[in-house]
Amino acid sequence: MPKHIVRLIVLLVASSAIALIAKWFFTVESFYEYGHYRADSVPEIAAQEPVYKTAGYCQSCHSERHAQWSANNHKSVTCETCHGAAEGHPEKGKLPIPADTVKLCTLCHEAMPGRPGTQPQIQVAQHSGGQQCKVCHNPHAPKIAAAAVKVAGDVAAGRQRAAACASCHGAEGISPNDTWPNLAGQSAAYLARILAAYKSGDQKDVVMTPLAQPLSDGDIQNLAAYYASLTCRTVPSTTRIGDAATGKALANNCASCHGATGIATNPAWPHLAGQKVGYLVNVLKAFRGGLRKDPMMAAVVRGLSDADIDNLAAYYAVQSCRPVTEARKTP
Amino acid sequence: MKREAIFSLLARRAFLRKIGRAATCAGAIVAAGALGVTKEVAAKSESKPSRASFPTKDYDWTQHQWAFGVDATKCIGCLRCVEACKRENDVPGDAHHFRTWVERYVYLEGDKRARIDSHHDPVNIEASGSEREYRFANRYQGAKVEKAFFVPKLCNQCTHPACVQVCPTGATYRTQDGVVLIDHKYCIGCQYCVQACPYGARFYRPKERVTDKCTWCYHRITKGLQPACVEVCPVGARIFGDRNDPQSPISLFIRNNRVQVLRADTGNAPNVFYVGIDKEVS
Repeated sequence: MPKHIVRLIVLLVASSAIALIAKWFFTVESFYEYGHYRADSVPEIAAQEPVYKTAGYCQSCHSERHAQWSANNHKSVTCETCHGAAEGHPEKGKLPIPADTVKLCTLCHEAMPGRPGTQPQIQVAQHSGGQQCKVCHNPHAPKIAAAAVKVAGDVAAGRQRAAACASCHGAEGISPNDTWPNLAGQSAAYLARILAAYKSGDQKDVVMTPLAQPLSDGDIQNLAAYYASLTCRTVPSTTRIGDAATGKALANNCASCHGATGIATNPAWPHLAGQKVGYLVNVLKAFRGGLRKDPMMAAVVRGLSDADIDNLAAYYAVQSCRPVTEARKTP
Repeated sequence: MKREAIFSLLARRAFLRKIGRAATCAGAIVAAGALGVTKEVAAKSESKPSRASFPTKDYDWTQHQWAFGVDATKCIGCLRCVEACKRENDVPGDAHHFRTWVERYVYLEGDKRARIDSHHDPVNIEASGSEREYRFANRYQGAKVEKAFFVPKLCNQCTHPACVQVCPTGATYRTQDGVVLIDHKYCIGCQYCVQACPYGARFYRPKERVTDKCTWCYHRITKGLQPACVEVCPVGARIFGDRNDPQSPISLFIRNNRVQVLRADTGNAPNVFYVGIDKEVS
């Protein structure tokens, strides 16, 4: 064999040997164990620590919140969807309680083409008058509880039963003094709800509680229907407190439930237009002090000063209660 | 023969001789080295005891076959999944790197084609106020929308993944429980796989110089948890589970719905099953 061919063969063999040995040397142990990859990389990837810890992790400390949340409409939205990942909590500090709930809630609830019809959606600009969602809605139990109950009472029977109420609330549902509320033209669903609350003891009043306790469910329905059927009147108040113009600005915060001029759109909530000043002041202070219990009202009145309350009462007292009552009274 | 030619021939011969000697020397050195590493070689050749359960001691990948479902009729486009995925997997925070995303398809009256946008559309970035927050702008409010819907997207963890086929270093592979993973220690950042994926599911991390993609949160599912996007989805539009278990959410989802996969014609055999998507979605 010619010399140069021998040299070539030697070169080839030597370099192949080098390549083979190098491959043997550099291929890590777990390569080819399960395929053309480094098997050890699988446990490496699997060893990463989860950042989102699941609602079960939160429950171990926040059991009360967890119970409330899991029994209500947001139960499909886990803790970490709104509060963020629980990694490092509680060791490294608190998780954020979202401050800008408008920004957060509208991620899901802003009316938008493409969202399925089953998703509750709002027109953001018209829904709350710029208020934060959590003023009215509890994020852990978002559905507003005061659902309107259908009232099917007998007006004539209600009129008879109402004789006992006339000394305070007036023969035609217009109270003769400033402390007791007008009932004429009030929403029937609201009246029935409040009477039932007095009867059950959920709401207490020295005068109302003993009067409401003997009422049957039928009586409550009849009374509510009767007073709702009466025509309301805005009576000029004898008490001069507060400034209606200042109250008007504050009332924007109440408008989504009680209407811009105190005529509520949802029958579960009371009309305030033309209501007695003294009564409105007392009720607002009762909500603020916790004597009258309503989670939504408690949240709304928390920040109100005495002057604010006077102004609000003054504003609602002078509003006309007519437009809606007349529309409602036409058969 | 000319003098110059003879000289050049001699020079070449001398050069080759040198090369030959060098090669012999190198061979000798390598042989010596090889002798030195015989021990190691012997250790490598020994057949290792096969691992009892892999990849962790509490999880055996031969017992699972993962799959993913997307119910587009439920998706509300809140993008909590995108945020959770970024946080869970330490994906770069800007809007243009993501393992999962949501597309919005809108047909306006008279339009022949869908208008498609996602969270990284400039209009949507402006609506969220930051590249690190995700929100769909209400840009079609008041427009005459004929049809609109959201479609969550992610890696399809294909049974015959094109991305794995093109990887030159064996850095990406399909696990036995049905997830395509990337070994970031072996990835050289050549991005062939980014090109090969028909779904655009892979992206490049410039800082680490590796490619990255959805792993169905492999570190979570091997611990018995759901992937982060499934965990935070408020409407149940994302479904995940084990196809080996006939009662798992995904088995029920596939059995009880008429499901479809994206781009079946590419032969990748994807494992994300869709309900409620339209002809434009691919």
